[in-house]
Amino acid sequence: MRTNLSLVADRVSKKFGLTLKQSLQYGLKDMARTFLGARVSTDQLRPGEFWAIRDVSFELHRGESLGIMGVNGSGKSTLLRMLNGVYAPDAGHIQIRGRVAALIAAGAGFAPMLSGRENVFINGALLGLSKRQVDALMDEIIAFSELEDFIDLPVRNYSSGMFVRLGFAIAALSRPDVLLMDEVLAVGDLNFQKKCFDCILNMKKQGTSIILVSHSPGSIWAVCDRGLFMDHGHVVVDGTAEDIVRAYDDQNSRNAVESKLRLSAAHAATARSDYASMEDESVPVPMRGELHSIDEVVCREFRILSQQSGKEVGEIDFQDVVDLELAIDVYQLINNVVVRVVVDASHYRNILVLDSHEQGLKLEELMPGRYSFKISLQANNLRPGAYTFNVTVISKHIAAHLSLWLKCGTLVIRAPKERFFYAEPLAVIHLPATFTCHPQLAVERSLHV
Amino acid sequence: MLDTSSMVRSYSPRRTFQTPTRSLVMAWREVYISRHVIWQLFARDFVANLRQKLLGYLWVLITPLLAIASFVFLNYAGVLNPGSMSVPYPLFVYIGTSLWALLMTTMTAVANGLISNSDLIIRTNIPKIGLSLTGLANVLYNYTVGVILLLIVFAFFRLSPHPWIILYPIVCLPIIALGVGVGLVLAVVGTVARDVTPIATSVLGLLMYVTPVVFNADLSNPVLRRVIVANPLTYLVDTPRSLATLGVIPCPIGYVLSTMLSLVMLWIGIHAFYLVQDKVAERL
Repeated sequence: MRTNLSLVADRVSKKFGLTLKQSLQYGLKDMARTFLGARVSTDQLRPGEFWAIRDVSFELHRGESLGIMGVNGSGKSTLLRMLNGVYAPDAGHIQIRGRVAALIAAGAGFAPMLSGRENVFINGALLGLSKRQVDALMDEIIAFSELEDFIDLPVRNYSSGMFVRLGFAIAALSRPDVLLMDEVLAVGDLNFQKKCFDCILNMKKQGTSIILVSHSPGSIWAVCDRGLFMDHGHVVVDGTAEDIVRAYDDQNSRNAVESKLRLSAAHAATARSDYASMEDESVPVPMRGELHSIDEVVCREFRILSQQSGKEVGEIDFQDVVDLELAIDVYQLINNVVVRVVVDASHYRNILVLDSHEQGLKLEELMPGRYSFKISLQANNLRPGAYTFNVTVISKHIAAHLSLWLKCGTLVIRAPKERFFYAEPLAVIHLPATFTCHPQLAVERSLHV
Repeated sequence: MLDTSSMVRSYSPRRTFQTPTRSLVMAWREVYISRHVIWQLFARDFVANLRQKLLGYLWVLITPLLAIASFVFLNYAGVLNPGSMSVPYPLFVYIGTSLWALLMTTMTAVANGLISNSDLIIRTNIPKIGLSLTGLANVLYNYTVGVILLLIVFAFFRLSPHPWIILYPIVCLPIIALGVGVGLVLAVVGTVARDVTPIATSVLGLLMYVTPVVFNADLSNPVLRRVIVANPLTYLVDTPRSLATLGVIPCPIGYVLSTMLSLVMLWIGIHAFYLVQDKVAERL
């Protein structure tokens, strides 16, 4: 291991059993074999096992900080536990230099009945500090965690924020060589978070290497020089903080679409079993989403096509334009028809509407037959994320939907490579704008004296 | 304090050559390294146990005093009176049960050490053998209190203990070694199959009836007698008791063999622990 490195992970893998029963069986078998002196090979999967971490390799230099992002269950915490020496790898090798402090969850080893002060001693011992070293740090720890009034209170009465403050203060002030953090800062209040970030940057300057697992792009961007994006135990992206935030956002958008589809499929299955009992086959159930129609008009098909390729797409790049295609069957003559597409974002409903009447298409009369509509977008200002499409057919004279097809389509807009969207995860529309800056007062001193 | 900033830790799949000697060396080194932690955790458990209690630290005295009081009551009631013995029967039983309890509590404390500290195992990298042994601090504390109470019991019977009682704490050590050895095996196997410790406790409970704990070894039934003679626990219990009361070791060769057996068991326990400890964390 080179001296400027503080951590090397080389093709590290870890497997887990899916069921408790299976892992009991394998565990006893492995132990028996080990006791009898037989070799237990750990780098092969047996039935019922899966790789929680697979072939993860990276290096970390002194004073460097690495962010790890990934959706739930992608292996981040398992990896962190392996780096902390809690789980032994099943294959591969980890080397780590110096004293490691892990803030894996707030309150590790805090005894609820004991006071904050007593717990500082215990926690300090857990981090490898002697009583004298803890004594020397005590005032600093109390001041940093802002727990002056509560340091002698039993910690079971602490709020979760107080737990984190105390835990962070001990770990950070013990001046470790490597600091492992798993999504702990989110609990503190704004003021404390700011203090933590200052402290982390300071530690970095003094040569502490940091690994931060977080779901917050802001934290990753603030702290980390580079990062890993993990999915199903693999490192999918190893790059800059921006790269992994992008990958993480895209993955989240995809998951949002998938979970919505799954939910609505489950919903439709429930609905279908209800229909089946009524033996009513007059309304065919569409492939996806929820369709409510009366007998006159039924939506049949909805597709999102890329304007470049003309092919059906589920995922496009930022600012790519698409065509929407809709087929409807009309069974009885209807007048003054309006076709409307309403778009939902992940967190908001009805963020956009495309209405045939508003956009200038007048449909005074539709004879029975099949009609297909094409809606060509001229620009696409949706920010990266997941969007759901809903279609309705309305007649001006009937104040109700003739046909309503909810969640008939989904579209993921990928994060762009050339710019970094991080500022507001809830924002859905991007309005291109030009920012300029001109000095108005030429003063030498700052405005805050 | 060691300079740890240049120390490189390595984690890889289990080492293929974990010799019994290496296990022993590692155990010694890791316990030494984690001695502060063991002490802090013992202090934590000890203090936390007494918090939010009306009588607080008085409990340290009350529990054993109550045990003695009930004992004295039984003695006055004449329940504990099996006839003539070289040692007053209540004293015989008191020492026997406290030695047996030492074996039981040592074993269960070590066996449960990993599971009861699972929080720390998952979040910190304290040597696991250290965590297994933290429960032992409490056992040793109770044992020390027990030895002091033994002197009170002697006084109650207006007997003076034999001067060799000074060796009593030392001749008890094989019992602790045996308890720790069995406990360490149970600790690692118990993380996979949670019922091995209760099973072992029950088996040990049965073994008490073929060990002279509450009765004398001179039984009339020849089969039972042979079992008792062959049982190494017999010597581990009988030797400290005879030494404290009469100043004699009834069967030195039996005691030496049993002691060696206990030490071998301790070694086996340590080696077994190191062989599989890497697989422990993910089962907690």
